[in-house]
Amino acid sequence: MKLFAKYNRINLLATIIIFLLASTTFYIAIKYILIGQIDDDLTIEEREIKTYIKEHNILPEPIPVKDQKITYSLSNELLEKRKFRTVPAYDPQDKEKNSYRVLQFGVGTNGKNYVATVAKSLEGTDALINSILLITSTTILLILIVSLIINRVLLKRLWKPFYYTLHTIRNFRVDKKQRLDFPFTSIDEFAFMNQTLEKATNQAQQDYLVLKEFTENASHEMQTPLSIIRSKLDLLIQEENLSEEQSKTVQSTYQAIEKLSRLNYSLLLLAKIENNQFAETSSLNLKLKIEEKINAFHELWQSQNITVDTCLDDTTIKMNNELADILLNNLLSNATRHNVPGGNIKIEIRNKSLRISNSGAQKELDPRRLYSRFYKQDGGHGQNGLGLSIIKQICDVSGFEIDYSFTPGQHLFIISLI
Amino acid sequence: MKVLVIEDERELSDSICSYLANEQFVCERALDFHTALEKVSLYDYACIILDVNLPGGSGLDILNELKKEMKIDGVLIISARNSLDDKVFALKAGADDYLTKPFHLAELGARVAAIIRRKSFEGKNQVILNELMLDLSEKEVRINNKPIDLTRKEYELLLYFISNKNKVIAKNAIAEHLWGDNMDLADNYDFIYTHIKNLRKKLIQAGAADYIKSIYGMGYKFSA
Repeated sequence: MKLFAKYNRINLLATIIIFLLASTTFYIAIKYILIGQIDDDLTIEEREIKTYIKEHNILPEPIPVKDQKITYSLSNELLEKRKFRTVPAYDPQDKEKNSYRVLQFGVGTNGKNYVATVAKSLEGTDALINSILLITSTTILLILIVSLIINRVLLKRLWKPFYYTLHTIRNFRVDKKQRLDFPFTSIDEFAFMNQTLEKATNQAQQDYLVLKEFTENASHEMQTPLSIIRSKLDLLIQEENLSEEQSKTVQSTYQAIEKLSRLNYSLLLLAKIENNQFAETSSLNLKLKIEEKINAFHELWQSQNITVDTCLDDTTIKMNNELADILLNNLLSNATRHNVPGGNIKIEIRNKSLRISNSGAQKELDPRRLYSRFYKQDGGHGQNGLGLSIIKQICDVSGFEIDYSFTPGQHLFIISLI
Repeated sequence: MKVLVIEDERELSDSICSYLANEQFVCERALDFHTALEKVSLYDYACIILDVNLPGGSGLDILNELKKEMKIDGVLIISARNSLDDKVFALKAGADDYLTKPFHLAELGARVAAIIRRKSFEGKNQVILNELMLDLSEKEVRINNKPIDLTRKEYELLLYFISNKNKVIAKNAIAEHLWGDNMDLADNYDFIYTHIKNLRKKLIQAGAADYIKSIYGMGYKFSA
């Protein structure tokens, strides 16, 4: 939920509750005050009637006053307590219902007991209450709406730098050299946030650069000693009188150096891809490229009795030529290396996607760690665990998406070429 | 024939020289830019093995100097940089070949031999060794003047052996030569074994001597 929405929701709910509470309280308070007023009037009337009776010893003639009725009725005993009531009554003149405030009290004259009823119409009061209520509610409602609108507009404007920053940070890539350009803002909190983010991202970029340079330099520095060791081994095996044992030792050393060289090559390649050193792209006919690779692998597959099925649509892709070679080499090498004798490889290009599947181990590769560097499933056949990282990295820089799926004994990689 | 090795890493330079030096080649060395420039302008070499990163200057400047002086020395660049751009750039600048470090000496030997062949045979692209005759432009092999049928890989293998004759070539070096740089399958030795076995059989059946010997499973040697 957006901050605005959340804020507005709470705000609206609170104001509606306040509005209802305030209106009700106001209504009750006004009504109470006005009724009190009328009750006072009625009490004054009672006093007047009682005084009149005391002086004249007869019931006073009711004087017709607008909105006021005084009636007497005989009663058996004297009413001790006065009684206030509000009664609805039908006014035949106005043809509408009107409420009356009624005061009943007992009076006695000439030995007779009467109940005097003084009724005062509440029409005026009701009208007053209604109009006061109307005015206040309208005012409160107006205030609410205006504050809501102000909130909306103001908040949106106030939060603008925040969203801009968010947008900027979303485009942040630690491996890109561009500096983030945060907008100037006069709001302290946002300025502080931008400052912090700028510092953090710069630091991240710097750290990344240092790390990358380290990998790169380390790999570069390793090349010379590797070259020397290799060349010394090449010389060593020229010796006429190497024993069989010594030859075995040399052979093991060769293997290890080979592994190290490949590891080094892979690390350098990854660093170079990250450095965007393969930025130049061209249109490639993927079908021709794959056919070329199939030719190169053909003999190897034959020797391992691996059958290969292809179904290649004519597809042109835009990517770096060198990376395309490396990508296909790695994919096909993987499909070959992790295959079983007499297995199969299926290569398809259709619907703008390249699908390479191969028979292999019964166990699924761990999809979460599949592309992480140095990931090896079950020992990994002496592999360095960088092959899939390289594949993934090439897909990333070329704008492709790679997916892995597994059905028992079949491993499938799908690269969406868009 | 003289070969000049321009490489600042003494140990590597030593290895290259000891490997290449034989009855055919005399190997000279230059360990820095200025010595290299001096030697290059004073003498003619059949092939110059040139490292790109040198103390005192770039190997590519030496290459430019050679081209300016219209020298026809063959140049093989050896470099730690392995991107296609670097290769294309060096080849455009006039180098004959480009080899990425780390390399096998056998690979270097084969490349140097190829450069020297190209420079010295002038169109008559043939390698003759006793009863063997390789036609490099037709990629055809004749034994006692009778053509024999070799696959592409077998032909490459034979040429590789002849270019490194009387040397023990490690299996790894052969694998790398056959698979090229990128194919991440250089550890597949069974396949190499099959190829060598087939090549050997074909050569012997066609009446050639048994040149290819296995050396303790470590590598092979073409003795002639």
